[in-house]
Amino acid sequence: MIENLKEISKDTLLQEVQKFADAKARFVTTVCSDLGDKLEVTYYFNYSPGVDMVALRMFVGKDEEVPSISGIYLTAVLSENEMFEQYGLKVKDMAIDFGGLMLLGKDSPVKPMVKDNAAGGKGGE
Amino acid sequence: MGIIQTSQVKSPWILHFCNSSCNGCDIEVLACLTPLYDVERFGLVNMGNPKHADVMVVTGPVNYRTARVLKNLYNQIPDPKMVIAVGACASTGGVFHNCYNIMGGVDKVIPVDVYVPGCAARPEAIIDGVVLALQKLSKAVGVAK
Amino acid sequence: MAPRTVAPFGPQHPVLPEPIQLKITYEDEKVVNVVPALGYGHRGIEKACEINEYPKNIHLCERICGICSCMHGISYCEVVERLWPMEVPPRAKYLRTIWSEMSRTHSHLLWLGLLADALGFESMFMQFWRIREKVLDLLEMTCGSRVTQSVSVVGGVRRDIDDEQKKICIRTLQEVRKEVEALVNVLATDPTVKARTVGVGVLTKEQAILLGNNGPHLRASGVKEDCRMLGMQAYGELGFEPIVETDGDCYARALVRAREALQAIDLQLEAFSKMPEGEIFVRPKGSPPANEAVYRCEQARGEVFYYAKGNGTRNLERLRVRTPTFANIPSLLVMLPGSELADVPIIVLSIDPCISCTER
Repeated sequence: MIENLKEISKDTLLQEVQKFADAKARFVTTVCSDLGDKLEVTYYFNYSPGVDMVALRMFVGKDEEVPSISGIYLTAVLSENEMFEQYGLKVKDMAIDFGGLMLLGKDSPVKPMVKDNAAGGKGGE
Repeated sequence: MGIIQTSQVKSPWILHFCNSSCNGCDIEVLACLTPLYDVERFGLVNMGNPKHADVMVVTGPVNYRTARVLKNLYNQIPDPKMVIAVGACASTGGVFHNCYNIMGGVDKVIPVDVYVPGCAARPEAIIDGVVLALQKLSKAVGVAK
Repeated sequence: MAPRTVAPFGPQHPVLPEPIQLKITYEDEKVVNVVPALGYGHRGIEKACEINEYPKNIHLCERICGICSCMHGISYCEVVERLWPMEVPPRAKYLRTIWSEMSRTHSHLLWLGLLADALGFESMFMQFWRIREKVLDLLEMTCGSRVTQSVSVVGGVRRDIDDEQKKICIRTLQEVRKEVEALVNVLATDPTVKARTVGVGVLTKEQAILLGNNGPHLRASGVKEDCRMLGMQAYGELGFEPIVETDGDCYARALVRAREALQAIDLQLEAFSKMPEGEIFVRPKGSPPANEAVYRCEQARGEVFYYAKGNGTRNLERLRVRTPTFANIPSLLVMLPGSELADVPIIVLSIDPCISCTER
């Protein structure tokens, strides 16, 4: 169970995130996971000072494009690039776009975290 | 057999390169240089410049991005040179063998002379590996030891 | 205007034991722009954690980073325990706290040594690392290994600390505390250290919050935030108070870490005196159920965020790790521009970068 979780859609994402920025909350991270037909993206924030955590969750299709929150929180740029590399989630207008080569090299497997991708599971148990 | 060869064995300079290691072996390599183990008494000096080095100490498994850097550094070290793979991952890929971005041990990219086991390799084991490499180096440069 | 030069800093660089590259644009000696280039340490541990069965991931998570390894292992166990949820015995909580603080001590001593090295203060570097070996000896005695401890398992811990070991620990820690205190006094008052660090790499409170920084880096900018305030493990019973500095420069960050190293020793001594008797392990029932959990823990470098999703089998559906350096790297984009080339290594070092953590 995740406490303080709020479901939103990608259209209201920027407004919701702006509210956190106005309240001087710290951005913690994004978590993306593959649900098969769509992706689940969760943004975690932390009210400062204090240690209360709040989460925003949205579901997006695999070929949909989501807005970038790096205009509000620059620090989100690393995890947005990571989501693009690992899951192929398209993020629009990232402050720094590594073009899919932030963590992965040129010869690395493509979209390694996607569930049905054979490249992701190399051998295993 | 000249003075250069003799000094190369007497005082080999080390280049430490970390691939995608977990840091465990790196801090143990550094610990070798600090007072408790102090390999500097054998003439070993840690160098930042590959062209000054005789022995390359590599930690961690090779991933798709470090492979190029590793090969590049190896080619810059003047001959004769020794490569020591420190730790289980540098030798075989170790605990990361099934990670998608890992190519495997260091020997997938460059020739390795000495393998040091352990996760993380203990400083004693690393010093042992360096001594083995020096014996090999002295044969290569023709200095009997 | 002077011509601009772009020069890479890293991935193989004498001050960095680890591979990170910063593409830095200079105008003469002044830094004007920085772009971090990561990826030299990326292995793909999150995916491997989905492939392996959940008890095996402990060893994998401990090798996310060799310096914070003990706390990575504990955080992984804690997040998986929250999937059921299950409670670990009180003695196991205390043992986890002791080992966490022990690894914080060795990590901070390591960093203080590296700082001294970056300043060219070789003898202080050697002194800090000499003292650190004593802490590593304690870890080896109690856990069986110097670097990767592997003491924590889902449901508790694998090893207990008996009375004899406890006595040795307390005696050694008291010795270490005296020695560290003496060295920290030198570090805090030495004019050469101050000349290189005071006013270098300043980050204000507002910037630090907006950049999502955490750990000692955030506390050095005057924000009183520390995950140990949540009172997980045994911290709630130890009367913990975070250490805060307000200047936000490299000197403040060094002071925070130096004082935290001492505080960690105090916390260990207190935990030893309050540790209850009893069981150290309860067996988890079956596999982790289909549930989600989040766990945050204060590591030496800052706050680590673990997210786990179970699906009722012995494999996890998803594991996400947000490590402290991942959130601290963006602050380099603010701190480096305007600084001099010669200060770059110190500013980079002052966030205590842990690249293998960042890239996993």
